[in-house]
Amino acid sequence: MTDETIMEAVKSGDLQQASMLFERYHKRIFNFLARLAMDRALAEDLTQNVFLRIIKYRNSYREGARFQSWIYQVARNVFSDHYQAHKNKYSDFVDVDKLRDNMAEAEDEQWDEKEKLLHRSMALLADEQRELLILTRFQHMKYEEVAQVMNTTVANIKVKVHRAIAKLREHYFELEKN
Amino acid sequence: MEKEKLESLIIDFIDGKLLEDERKIVEQELMRNPAAYKLYEELKEVMQAMHTASRLEPSANLKLQFDKMLAEEMQQQKPAKTIFFQPVFYRVAAAVLLLVLGGGVGFWISRQQQQAEELRAMKEEMEKTKQMMMGMLDNQESASQRLMGANVAYKTIVKADDEIVNALVNTMNEDPNTNVRMAALEALSKFHSQPHVRKALIASLRTQKDPLVQIALIHLMIDMKEKGITEELKRITTDDEALPAVKDEAHVGLLKLS
Repeated sequence: MTDETIMEAVKSGDLQQASMLFERYHKRIFNFLARLAMDRALAEDLTQNVFLRIIKYRNSYREGARFQSWIYQVARNVFSDHYQAHKNKYSDFVDVDKLRDNMAEAEDEQWDEKEKLLHRSMALLADEQRELLILTRFQHMKYEEVAQVMNTTVANIKVKVHRAIAKLREHYFELEKN
Repeated sequence: MEKEKLESLIIDFIDGKLLEDERKIVEQELMRNPAAYKLYEELKEVMQAMHTASRLEPSANLKLQFDKMLAEEMQQQKPAKTIFFQPVFYRVAAAVLLLVLGGGVGFWISRQQQQAEELRAMKEEMEKTKQMMMGMLDNQESASQRLMGANVAYKTIVKADDEIVNALVNTMNEDPNTNVRMAALEALSKFHSQPHVRKALIASLRTQKDPLVQIALIHLMIDMKEKGITEELKRITTDDEALPAVKDEAHVGLLKLS
């Protein structure tokens, strides 16, 4: 059964089917939000919120629309709503020193130096650039798919992703020097 | 080649997205330009790092929370869809029905009580009127009081009981005042459809000595078409003591009733 068929069933009142969508998507959405928010516990809450919205606002799912695009759009909205509500808690950049506190300690032990470096470099990117890299590089989404989620053109996405990679490289090797 | 253009080409190169021509240009640039090669190495490293980054695992709590949320949503969904078929609805409907029925019964009972109350008050009122009337008729001192008593009977008594009829008959037959006797007769005439009143009137014709009352009685009997008095009328026509005017009325009565 396709995601779209299942979502149609949920929309018409068969809520139980939502658990199938949860099985298929919760890890991807959690990874997206955890890397975006750089906070695992928060990411779990936000992921929960995404699925709550999917169920609550099931009637706003347009028939024929791609489910993956829709759920990522919902996830982006959930994140940005949270960000708006807690604007004062964050500056333009996530505090790199605090990252270790917010991501689980398990990662600190498991991750090698390169991965930690990557993580810290990601934290230095602007939200939009970090988001684009998570979608296209960490989650291996095609530019077309990301363009659908963000409601823009493939060419625009490509340019922005390239700039984000270039920026990440700068931060990465800058941090490596120190 | 400007840096951003070069970066973009190298990224596509690493991604394997370049066409043959472009790929050759990049390869030449990398061999020719050490800075470009360094850029290539560094870009490749970060891209590789992102590509192979480990996946984060959510805690088991996420699944538990989702299942709980889903169960709650499903719980909420049911009543919204079938509100009119829920037992709660029936219970409320029954309560409303009982309330309406109770109110109706209460209203009916209070109305019954009110009616009984009104009836009792009316009876009381009638009894008072009757007592007053009887008292007036019985007043030996004043003829005008007795006259008023007879008038009260005429105007206010709707249905005369035996007591009233007897009092009026007595007055009609025995009151010393002609006007009072006439008034009593007038009052009785109103109840002439009642059998005992009729009997009393017929009996009175036999014993009545007052010519005015006799004439009035004969008129009333004619109006009542009371044929039972023909014998009595015949007796009056031959009665030496009767006044000629009374005899004349008796003759007229005989003619009209026969």
